[in-house]
Amino acid sequence: MNLSLLAGAILNGLVTGMLYALMGIGLSLILGLLNIPNFAHGVLYALGAYVMVSGTKAFGFVGGALAALVAVAVLGAVIETLGVRRLSRVHPDYTLLLTFGLSLILTESIILVWGPVGITSQPPALLAGSVDLGVTLYPKYRLVVMVVTAVLVLASYLFVTRTRYGAIIRAGIEDKDMAAALGINIRRVFTVTFAAGAGLAALGGALMTPVRGLLPTMGLDILPFAFVVVVLGGLGSLPGAILAGLLVGVVQSLMTAIWPPGADASVFVLMTLGIIARPQGLLGQR
Amino acid sequence: MRRVALIRFVLLVAAIVVLPFCVRPVVASEICIFAIAAMALNLIFGYTGMLSFGQATFFGLAAYTAGLMMIHWHAPLLAVLAAGTLVGGVAAALIGYVCIQRVGTYFIMLTFGFNQMLYFIAYKWTAVTGGDDGLPGIPRPPFAVGPLSISLDSSLRYYGFVAVSFLLAFYAMKRIVDSPLGVIFRAIRENPGRAAAVGYDVKRYKWLAFTIAGAFTGGAGVLYSMMFGIVPLESISWIISGDIVFMVLIGGIGNLYGPLLGAAAFKWLSEAISVVWERWPLILGVALVLVVLFLRGGLVEAFTRVRDIVAGGGPRPEPDEPVSVPDAAESQARP
Repeated sequence: MNLSLLAGAILNGLVTGMLYALMGIGLSLILGLLNIPNFAHGVLYALGAYVMVSGTKAFGFVGGALAALVAVAVLGAVIETLGVRRLSRVHPDYTLLLTFGLSLILTESIILVWGPVGITSQPPALLAGSVDLGVTLYPKYRLVVMVVTAVLVLASYLFVTRTRYGAIIRAGIEDKDMAAALGINIRRVFTVTFAAGAGLAALGGALMTPVRGLLPTMGLDILPFAFVVVVLGGLGSLPGAILAGLLVGVVQSLMTAIWPPGADASVFVLMTLGIIARPQGLLGQR
Repeated sequence: MRRVALIRFVLLVAAIVVLPFCVRPVVASEICIFAIAAMALNLIFGYTGMLSFGQATFFGLAAYTAGLMMIHWHAPLLAVLAAGTLVGGVAAALIGYVCIQRVGTYFIMLTFGFNQMLYFIAYKWTAVTGGDDGLPGIPRPPFAVGPLSISLDSSLRYYGFVAVSFLLAFYAMKRIVDSPLGVIFRAIRENPGRAAAVGYDVKRYKWLAFTIAGAFTGGAGVLYSMMFGIVPLESISWIISGDIVFMVLIGGIGNLYGPLLGAAAFKWLSEAISVVWERWPLILGVALVLVVLFLRGGLVEAFTRVRDIVAGGGPRPEPDEPVSVPDAAESQARP
């Protein structure tokens, strides 16, 4: 493999990896706080992409992305309030099944609204074309997406670790009952976290539309990778999710360049090796 | 108690005999096949307390194994069935060994992750599996023991074979669940810590339960591969894994008959609805959400509730119902 191809593959891996990290952060927070693997996370990402395509026609590119963020975050809040909350005192397996059911409903709804066939979408004219990075030519839009998702990932991390509300979220992950006893409205924190996780996934989906295209099953396709990121990174560890996200993205992308049939499977081999070597995840404490 | 069990078993056999005359024989076969897979999941989910979201791994692996054996080697029926069961068991032993290292959510995600891994391999390895098109052209060998050979050409005959396999599997599962081993599984479900304290190697028993379930699921996969003469890619996808979980859930977990009812209801409904409307997973999703929110005990609980109402006792309160619980966190937090 020549250098240009290698550089391209690594850059592609970082673009995908940042998306995985973005989804992994949301999943990890929801998992830590509400103790559920959100099976609807993938379809929320897909929904973000579809809202983006329709929203771009009405409000332009940035407006479309914001529409996706807001619409799906609101949907997330509704799911948490009407569904997940009702099951807070039952075994978590039931919440998982609830999100699985929602995932089916939303996927089928996407097919009903936008049709079963895939859609392609173009980046805004300003960001079309490529730049010469010395080693390789690389599409401008992908670089911008990489930077924007990196900023989002970093902002989420700083929000959770450096702000007062972030401290409340971490307190909730540590001990819900104690947090509630201290006068924190933990239910509202649940709703906000779920909505934020949904919104981040949707924004990721929206930004990736020109890169990955749209397919009704895109949410189901990406979900296992987001899960791998959380498992590999370590439950509740945001740096872990970021590291694992990038690692998974780059490994997958490099394998695509070397041996395409093994690209997706290699990610799960990576996860298996990771679990055997470090059962608590790369940066997980528990 | 034994008489009740006997009556139940007779009713089950009667239902098996009547089934192909109520629905198309093909659907009847499908019901029996998925009933085997559902009762296998019930062993690990309902009896041992581990929710696997990756049962299609073993279902699909065995189906592909059986299909390839019959296409390339023209292997006989019982050999294929044995091989598929073995493949399901061995794969479950290997994958289960990694998965049981973790509990709860992690366990679920691991089973799901492995399922996807095998799915992607089957999807991309088109030379062997046919990829997205599936593995077609699988013959259906006759049932042959010594000089005896019965052709299974018609779907009704094939149903006979599937039904007998199902009854054998059910009997085996009943023996496992009723045995001291089954009691240990339940003890692990109720309280893993205490089971360990009493001296049971919890991980080893979980591994055993997972492996047994994998073997049963593998057997079901073999029966599935011969039914339509094709192994679709879907048979190893998480859709099937989800379907199996759903069957167990709507049937009611933790008893032997719930998953059978669940499989029957699921397959019958999917057959009935998919003819009318292509988007039937939407209805499935809505049903799943409603069951989870309002009827967690499944069909068996629905039956019990109706029986209680008919008997005049009124509906029993659900012990785990969260709705009536006063919301301590909410009321404290309001300024």
